[in-house]
Amino acid sequence: MALIPTLILKDSTTFSDEINFSVTDSLTVAAPAQSLSTIACATAGANSIIVPASASGCYLFVRHTGNLSNVVLVENTDDSQFANLKTGEFMFLPHLSGSLGVQVQSAAAVVIEYAYWTI
Amino acid sequence: MATTTATVSISSSDLQPGNTLSINASSTIMQTGLTTGLELMDMGIGHLRQDSARDALAEATGTIDTTNWVYICNNATDDTFFIKVGIHETVIGNLGAGDWMWMPWNMGHADNEINIEAEPTGATIPYEYAIFKSTDTLPASDAA
Repeated sequence: MALIPTLILKDSTTFSDEINFSVTDSLTVAAPAQSLSTIACATAGANSIIVPASASGCYLFVRHTGNLSNVVLVENTDDSQFANLKTGEFMFLPHLSGSLGVQVQSAAAVVIEYAYWTI
Repeated sequence: MATTTATVSISSSDLQPGNTLSINASSTIMQTGLTTGLELMDMGIGHLRQDSARDALAEATGTIDTTNWVYICNNATDDTFFIKVGIHETVIGNLGAGDWMWMPWNMGHADNEINIEAEPTGATIPYEYAIFKSTDTLPASDAA
């Protein structure tokens, strides 16, 4: 099964030279996969696990839907935080941290969209 | 004002029979507070050698708890070559040949450097990166 992610970064206002680049990839993924889903973040990450523990790793997409303005913390399931998402922001990365999963938490019930695909 | 827009699309035609995957998202990256864009950027290419062990791609030299974004792409053509990416002691994941990642980076505190490491033994991996930052503190000069 192939997954085609593309990232485009554009900026024509900051520098005298325009930033405009695109990168794409073709990823081979396997089961299990979690299709695009939503979850309301709990205040404790252990109650909002979005990727279960696995030794395989996965490609992970997470987006803050903006229903509330609170920051979403993205963490490994040992509570080690590695990213913050604000309103409307998204991230896409390969995740493999030992056999840890991924969890999210926020001070309020922020709804996030997420999906993952096993590597 | 700096207006940097990031757009991602993720698609698949064979992931689920009868259900083509097509995810699209876009956001303008902003400093904390959502009103000012990110005006500091580092961008470059390099070669990462496995025998140099874990290297800091960027030190957390800005203000704590500010918004920063990181793009890294592994440009290796050997599909056994990958880059281990982490923030200080927290391992995030492995970036395979041709793969890229886009994520926010909370400097948090001084030892939240982004680190990268080439694998496996003997690998030399070409990579490219871009880092968009809210703030930065230049290192002090050693000049007398």
